[in-house]
Amino acid sequence: MKNNKYEMTIGIECHVQLATATKLFSGAKNDSREAVPNENASPIDWGLPGMLPVLNERAVELAARLGLALDAKINLASRFDRKHYFYPDLPSGFQRTQLYEPIIGEGLVELPSGGKVRVEHAHLEEDAGKLTHVGEKTLVDLNRAGTPLVEIVSMPDMHSAREAREYCQELQKLAIYSGASDADLYHGNMRFDVNISVAEPGAKKLGTRVEVKNINSFKAVERAVEYEFKRQVGLIEKGEKFGQETRGWDENKQKTVSQRSKEEAMDYRYMPEPDVPPVRLAEGFVDGVRAEMPVLHTVLRHEFLKIGLGEAVVETLLDNHGLALRMHEVVGETDAKTAKRVADWFSSVWLAAEVTSTEIPSVAQLLELAEMVAAGELSSTAAKEVLLKMSVGSPRAVAEKLQLLQVSDEGALEEMVERVLALPAAAKAVADVKAGEMKALGFLVGLVMKESKGQANPGKVQGIIKSKV
Amino acid sequence: MKISDKEMTHLAELSGLTLTKTEMTNLQQDLERILEYVSQLNEVDTEGVEPTYQTFDLENVTRADVPIDYGVTKEQLLALAPEVKDGMIAVGGVL
Repeated sequence: MKNNKYEMTIGIECHVQLATATKLFSGAKNDSREAVPNENASPIDWGLPGMLPVLNERAVELAARLGLALDAKINLASRFDRKHYFYPDLPSGFQRTQLYEPIIGEGLVELPSGGKVRVEHAHLEEDAGKLTHVGEKTLVDLNRAGTPLVEIVSMPDMHSAREAREYCQELQKLAIYSGASDADLYHGNMRFDVNISVAEPGAKKLGTRVEVKNINSFKAVERAVEYEFKRQVGLIEKGEKFGQETRGWDENKQKTVSQRSKEEAMDYRYMPEPDVPPVRLAEGFVDGVRAEMPVLHTVLRHEFLKIGLGEAVVETLLDNHGLALRMHEVVGETDAKTAKRVADWFSSVWLAAEVTSTEIPSVAQLLELAEMVAAGELSSTAAKEVLLKMSVGSPRAVAEKLQLLQVSDEGALEEMVERVLALPAAAKAVADVKAGEMKALGFLVGLVMKESKGQANPGKVQGIIKSKV
Repeated sequence: MKISDKEMTHLAELSGLTLTKTEMTNLQQDLERILEYVSQLNEVDTEGVEPTYQTFDLENVTRADVPIDYGVTKEQLLALAPEVKDGMIAVGGVL
């Protein structure tokens, strides 16, 4: 997507659902993945008259956690405003959000490729219900109404589709690793609004801003940016004027489509929310949240690269929270060489076998397994087999059960070699080796391995054959 | 304090109201008078004054993150809706 004549500028607003048990202002359950429509909607979520919303303290904590993960300032004083609009997904006629005094101030997200994206602010707000359009009717499910969201607003610091995607992926990892959100895109835990403008490089004024709303996958973020860049450059080249507008991403057609122009943008008539008193956090609150902060992927990325893991392996591990955390423990318990072996098992064996639903082996199991390979008790191939079956026992027990332990006992090996060398099938090779034909040695080792059903230590076997012949 | 017809239409739209011409005219006059009255407040210098979020000085009214049984069923709540379809509130199409 190279076009030297034009440069694009991208800013992203990202909605993250917080992993609370209940909603932001009501005690209705937050997780509705298994619920029937309207099962988790309390009278508060219905916006019934006389209902009093009460702020969920856990949502405040998780928002602060996410804020710290964004390397942002946590504002000790924050408060809620009403944002009014009439639409069936919002029974009260207004959304509670934080327009003027958000809980999270300026932050910074560093991209693995080296770029930096500043966060302008992030605020707490409630989600709206879900609408389904059936024929002439629109059906309303209020299970999602009132779900706590943090909206993260970036500065316009990105300039390519790849950067936009990278930023969104970093946000997802920050949300997951901080424990603020499940950040499951499939279940709509994260949604992206992407603002894109195009101008000549170095232009003093940014181009006309177009917002593509409600994107729910990383790939779609990337594609939408690429599409908008081409579309806007096309319009500029043709000399066509275009105004600010909101567009949507059509996944089937792989293009953005106009939704409404900003000229007729909504007038939200914000006002202070009188039902929810302001939040004033104690000085020690943020320290408390910081103390409970789980290890972030940014720390792990640095740690894994430092022990010499390749970038691709590191990113693969980081994409799998459970594996990355286990890897972190392993790194703390052993040397770099062993840790690299475990990383290889995770990235090329464990993930390839798609056994992620079963329990990840413990540090003790992993280290014992690595130890057995290092000591020549298990071949590296056999170790991979054992790795996938350790849920039933210790590596040694599993290896024994599967008869994968290498025989390294000199006496037993010598006996086996003697037996094989005496076989008629070995006669020619034995003669060849005696004549200095070393290729035949490999053949003999192969025979012994076959005899041992793969359990003999090939290095030792070779030595013994040499000494015998 | 004058409110234009265009502003009235815009306000009605924002409020989701469909008004007859008479209602529109009456409301327009009412609103103009209300604004006239309230506009006296403009005489007060509010430079540097914080907006009022709370009149009782309440702060940090929060609850623990534990599900609450509000003692009302989904069926009772849905019965409040003018129309229900497939367990959902049915309204006029908005697409």
